[in-house]
Amino acid sequence: MKIAVDAMGGDHAPEVVIQGVERARNELPESVTFTLYGDETKIRPLIQDDTRLTIVHTTEKVESTDEPVRAIRRKKQASMVLAAQAVKSGEADAVISLGSTGALLAAGLFIVGRIPGIDRPGLAPTLPTVDGKGFIMLDVGANAENRAVQLVQYAVMGNFYAHDLRGLEKPRVALLNNGSEANKGDDLHQETYKLLEATPGINFIGNVEADSLLQGAADVVVTDGFTGNATLKAIEGTAKTILRLVKHAIMDSGVKGKLGGLLLKGGIKEIAKTFDVSSYGGAVLLGLRAPVVKAHGNADADTVYYTVKQVAAMVENQTVQKSVAYFDAHQPD
Amino acid sequence: MTEQEVFDKIAGLIEDHFQTPADKITNDLNFKKDLDADSIDTVEFVLELEDTFGAEIPDEDAEHIDTVGDAVQYVLNHQKK
Repeated sequence: MKIAVDAMGGDHAPEVVIQGVERARNELPESVTFTLYGDETKIRPLIQDDTRLTIVHTTEKVESTDEPVRAIRRKKQASMVLAAQAVKSGEADAVISLGSTGALLAAGLFIVGRIPGIDRPGLAPTLPTVDGKGFIMLDVGANAENRAVQLVQYAVMGNFYAHDLRGLEKPRVALLNNGSEANKGDDLHQETYKLLEATPGINFIGNVEADSLLQGAADVVVTDGFTGNATLKAIEGTAKTILRLVKHAIMDSGVKGKLGGLLLKGGIKEIAKTFDVSSYGGAVLLGLRAPVVKAHGNADADTVYYTVKQVAAMVENQTVQKSVAYFDAHQPD
Repeated sequence: MTEQEVFDKIAGLIEDHFQTPADKITNDLNFKKDLDADSIDTVEFVLELEDTFGAEIPDEDAEHIDTVGDAVQYVLNHQKK
């Protein structure tokens, strides 16, 4: 297995990328090798042990300000583009990048390519739940709008992913909606509900509302890209705001408050640990011919480490091939 | 390359990409109207044209390729002499 790594994408690249890859390499079987795409003069000095690491030197990179499609069409020597090309040509089995989400989506769509029958790949991060198990949500913004049949495809791909990566025998698949009853939502959601009920091979448990997501109401949450993106941002924003409010409440309330904060420190750390998403790795673009995984631009070496392990598990379990076989066997009439 | 050769190559791309039967592919075939091509299909097809004919097609030009005939004429007009 060979994993192509865009070593130059992200705010702290290539340092965190190299650290994370080396740590994962040390734990993964010897059959797993890595190709690092990027500026060799910057990458080489950071490598502690170059076993199973190959560097493909390039100084070109996709900037976050670049228009995504134009960037992947014109910057043919960019680290992200070369990494995606390696998958297209069969040299590598998967791509990891911390770079621009839009550009990676474009590279995934136009270089790696879609699974036959999948119109619109979806972006699928794993989000935390109070029980620490987490859930997968897709699409969280690869698309501005989706059709019902595309949401059904997300359900199927999310199901395989949750099965292989989270070890769930029958992942609970739910549709994000504005009420739990079957007749809730607009035309898109009502139509999707009916299609999901009739979809073979998935454990569809009905609608879920956004307020129950972090409580672990489902293992795979299916949504259109617009709603998914708004929901994801609302979750992230709420979490940040609450943490800030708690911090201010402790720091601004004098000696007694600080003392209380000190006593609560252990408990607060536990909460932080529950909601630490680095162990969930990156967001996967499901619907492409190979795993293409995006870790956060400001990810640290830990997140890169988990992302590499996540990608290796996808390749090992042939998660993408399972979706390909499913859609091949269940072609629309 | 002759017009027929260019047409045959483009027809081959369309057959593969859109699963269109060869006998349905004519110069009048419209990507959006007849093949239901969305924005992703369109970019994919332009990239395939670039790879096949070894040329870069600027976005402004790509926007005006609506039919198979448009694609054939574009390639013919930009062939390296």
